[in-house]
Amino acid sequence: MAFLDRTARSFLLTELLVGMGLTLKYLFKPKVTINYPYERNPYSPRFKGEHALRRYPNGEERCIACKLCEAVCPALAITIEAEPRDDGSRRTTRYDIDMTKCIYCGLCEEACPVDAIVEGPNIAFATETREELMYNKDKLLANGDQWEPELAKRLELDAPYR
Amino acid sequence: MAKVTVDGREIEVANGSSVLQACEAAGVEIPRFCYHDRLSVAGNCRMCLVEVEKAPKPIASCSYPIAEGMVIKTDTPMVRNGRRGVMEFLLINHPLDCPICDQGGECDLQDQAFSYGQDHSRYEENKRAVKDKYLGPLVKTIMTRCIQCTRCIRFATEIAGVPELGATARGENMEVTTYVEKALTSELSGNLIDICPVGALTSKPYAFVARPWELRKTDSIDVLDAVGSAIRVDARGSEVLRILPRMNDDVNEEWLGDKSRFSFDGLKRRRLDKPWVRIDGKLRPATWLEAFDAVSTKLKGMPGDKIGAIAGDLCDAESMLALKDLMAGLGSANLDCRQDGARIDASRRDFYVFNSSIAGIEEADALLIIGSNPRREAPVLNARIRKRQLAAPFPIGVIGAHAELTYMAEWLGDGPSTIASLPEAFAKVLADAKRPMIIVGQGALARPDGMAVLAAAWKLASSIGALTAEWHGFNVLHTAAARVGALDLGFLPGPGAKTLDAMMGGGVDLLWLLGADEFDTTRIGADTFVVYQGHHGDAGAARADVILPGSTYVEKPGTYVNTEGRVQRTGKAVFAPGEAREDWAILRAFSAAIDKPLPYDDLDALRARLEQVNPVFGRLGFLPRFGANDLTAPGGDPATVSATAFVPAIADYYQTNPISRASAVMAECTQTYAPTPALAAE
Amino acid sequence: MNAFLASGPGQVLITLVETLLLLVPLLISVAYLTVAERKILGAIQLRKGPNVVGFWGLLQAFADALKMIMKEQIIPTGANRFLFVIAPMLTMVLALMAWAVIPVTDGWAISDINVGILYLFAISSLSVYGIIIAGWASNSKYAFLGALRSAAQMVSYEVSIGFVIVTVLLCAGTLNLTGIVRSQSTIWFVVPLFPMFIVYFVSALAETNRPPFDLAEGESEIVAGFLVEYSGISWGLFFLGEYANMILQAAMMTILFLGGWLPVFGLSFIPGPIWFIAKIIFVLFFFIWVRATFPRFRYDQLMRLGWKVFLPLSLFWLVLTAGVLVFMGWLPHSA
Repeated sequence: MAFLDRTARSFLLTELLVGMGLTLKYLFKPKVTINYPYERNPYSPRFKGEHALRRYPNGEERCIACKLCEAVCPALAITIEAEPRDDGSRRTTRYDIDMTKCIYCGLCEEACPVDAIVEGPNIAFATETREELMYNKDKLLANGDQWEPELAKRLELDAPYR
Repeated sequence: MAKVTVDGREIEVANGSSVLQACEAAGVEIPRFCYHDRLSVAGNCRMCLVEVEKAPKPIASCSYPIAEGMVIKTDTPMVRNGRRGVMEFLLINHPLDCPICDQGGECDLQDQAFSYGQDHSRYEENKRAVKDKYLGPLVKTIMTRCIQCTRCIRFATEIAGVPELGATARGENMEVTTYVEKALTSELSGNLIDICPVGALTSKPYAFVARPWELRKTDSIDVLDAVGSAIRVDARGSEVLRILPRMNDDVNEEWLGDKSRFSFDGLKRRRLDKPWVRIDGKLRPATWLEAFDAVSTKLKGMPGDKIGAIAGDLCDAESMLALKDLMAGLGSANLDCRQDGARIDASRRDFYVFNSSIAGIEEADALLIIGSNPRREAPVLNARIRKRQLAAPFPIGVIGAHAELTYMAEWLGDGPSTIASLPEAFAKVLADAKRPMIIVGQGALARPDGMAVLAAAWKLASSIGALTAEWHGFNVLHTAAARVGALDLGFLPGPGAKTLDAMMGGGVDLLWLLGADEFDTTRIGADTFVVYQGHHGDAGAARADVILPGSTYVEKPGTYVNTEGRVQRTGKAVFAPGEAREDWAILRAFSAAIDKPLPYDDLDALRARLEQVNPVFGRLGFLPRFGANDLTAPGGDPATVSATAFVPAIADYYQTNPISRASAVMAECTQTYAPTPALAAE
Repeated sequence: MNAFLASGPGQVLITLVETLLLLVPLLISVAYLTVAERKILGAIQLRKGPNVVGFWGLLQAFADALKMIMKEQIIPTGANRFLFVIAPMLTMVLALMAWAVIPVTDGWAISDINVGILYLFAISSLSVYGIIIAGWASNSKYAFLGALRSAAQMVSYEVSIGFVIVTVLLCAGTLNLTGIVRSQSTIWFVVPLFPMFIVYFVSALAETNRPPFDLAEGESEIVAGFLVEYSGISWGLFFLGEYANMILQAAMMTILFLGGWLPVFGLSFIPGPIWFIAKIIFVLFFFIWVRATFPRFRYDQLMRLGWKVFLPLSLFWLVLTAGVLVFMGWLPHSA
């Protein structure tokens, strides 16, 4: 009986038809796609996107060249050189991130004692050449200036959990 | 010996040891800030608390002597609590600026706070702030970070012998200061940086440059003076970023002179990084082949006695041997290593080395310094003399220019004639001494009557009993790191060959300078073809017709022999810039280019040849002490000494060689420590 | 005018115009089939599919075509250059050639030959050559494996397709495609020959290398099979050929089983071509639907299905059909 049952099912293609029925049902379900450049998913304030170097409200750059981010970076993507600035304070003369090496783990922003290096919300920074992904200090500071309102908000939202 | 128990382990320690030393002997680590092995005990940081059975309170182990049967516990709740409390107190006024502090990553306070402290502070008042002090161009101060351990004060007073640092006020208001705004006048000031357990004293040239974890560390030997201090070269990429002393109790303990420590920025400046050839009176960049061609064309058909070679003060033994062998291949024995014109009898080794050894200074009981200023010529050795004098009465006499030494010394006279006619009182001191020492400096030898002075000093040494089978009290203090190695190799004119003086003024047609910059190059004859092989664009390179770019001591593994005759090796910390190569390899390549290849293809083979030339090169690092077995005096007639006063061998401590002359830091030091009138008179 | 049209050159001209009239819409439909496929697949997977280029993504196909034309064509060093270039053209040309005999409606065929079905069968069998040549000429192991799979697969399934067609021919009594459609005026063959329709449909999937029978490509196992070395427009030609073949197979199914241009429910006011196209679209939807539903066959399962299920089944049904036709005296009278 079971043999007959199985053979009948097999010859009547029941399983195939059930499967096709399922896909047909999905054909008419509402779609989950969002219209990316115009619509966006909600992002966590901890989202790790493009890097930026922040400044204090008075325009002074935050980074103090402590090199903790360089030390903690598992991909060795960060290169820092420092020397005393004219006023004697400790500043970087070079702050490079190789975005092609970066794995966006966020350890740099966690290591930073002054919240200078942060990973912002920006994910759309593709470039046409590799060279453009070798970020230098100017580019990172410019990123910071561009995204500062959002960066500050994100840090504030995340502050209670730090 | 006394028996004590440390954490349940019974050990025997010498009577009079401190509890801390007993713990160390038992292999237990005791945290400390103010205590330092080579300084007096202050006992003011209280970090080294341990518990001793039957004692009501924890005791400061560094200043507490042991007693028979003492039971010490280093890991009890009382100890841990005590340390945590001390740590909290120390951190009350210590700023939390580790991220911008150069000590970060190698800071005792940081490490010990991590190991013994607690994770937060209960202190909510304002922290104190202290004005930074000026200690000269080498030491940067951030006095707010000071935890008042007074190590620096004790170092300056005890080791450096310049009691210029001190503390004012008490308690929270205590400040370490120089009293007046004035640079530290010590050649050992860089050691304050090492000795400071926090980031209060840091290196000015190294400020904010790198973190310790970024650095590639290479053990090496210093060659900027003839002491051969053990150093560690810290480099990142192709750049040497700092030089630190290593421990070597036989040579430099753990100190290092400022020149050796801070000249490294000269390694980047004025470097020869490609070959140059003089065409129509102007030096032009060339390839190695062109440079070799220019030399070999000139050499073609040149008789051997018209070729000469001079080795400089920073040369490694390997390259000097290669040059000597190359010259032998060309039929020339016109070799010299004595740019300063020192008269030295190289027939026996004990005529030109520091026979007592540096560690042996501590065994001596009287000292006569002839024509030398150890403070300038070998500051680390000078510190050893001071250490000896602090330990027990140690009469010291000086013949030569007046100099400010860091210990009590009696000035006996200014010229060689004094050697034969010492003031009676001091002559008696020397005669009574069991182990008298005589140090003959280059100021006494680098003069026309140098041989006579050497013979006179030897005669005096044997007459006062400094030359016995157990004790060799006759010492020559060199200023050039390459000198003893060169003498060991016989880098001297062969029989009937020309000395440096004879090579000048057209004495030779082709002159090969191996890093030789310390003689007056204008004396070279106008028609002499000069090949300069070296690393810096200094005096020699300016006169050269062909420049072959070589390596500095941090860029090649080289063998050096210090003034004691101790054979040591440098390590290769970085690669030479541009097309520069290791010096022995240049000579080997050139020998192949003129079809007279040297019989060694790699460094091992060359070192085997070194050992073959002189077996002392096989004794790496280790220095056997010989008594004076052969009392035959060196050549030279003691009676022919002239009356001229000795002049110091070193005019300016901070700039004695191409590297330190290229260094901006050293230039600043020279300016800051303006030469004393006595030195300027030279 | 009429005289000219009746003459030799005139006939050639007419044929050319007819060919253009057929091929241009065909190529456009190929383009839209790709868009439709992406849209339907997207919808089934709860996505939207292409929706940026043009309104509702309708220009996506042309954007892709433009991209493929602009892209660099890479010819591997070890490849046989001539065959490597010829292979995609062959595939494309064969897929288009078959359309010469397809009757869009009564009498609307470029060439209404009496052995139309044989012609179709021959042409669709030839299309395997494009793939084999591509796989061999690439001089790449993945491409070669893909080509081998493709060849074996086509040979296996053409046998059963052949029997299915013979069954239909038994019922129709003619090899002429127009005749076959006409013979369905009483009842479409899909009704009496339903199992054969299923066998044909599945074999058609296999014949066009469509999922779940796309083992010749097999991205997960052999990267992209015979396509692995192709790029730019030569890759595009393979792609167009595959979709043109899909439409061809859908048209054949329409003709053999679904009554070609014949209307349903007597809705004869709708013209025949519309019916024909609507039926093709219906079959094509099934092609895509199947792709969205089933995973790829394993190779041994593919062979088993072809030789041990479809071949006996179609043979059995052939004998049964012939028997029934003879026994009941329903054999069609030859024209």
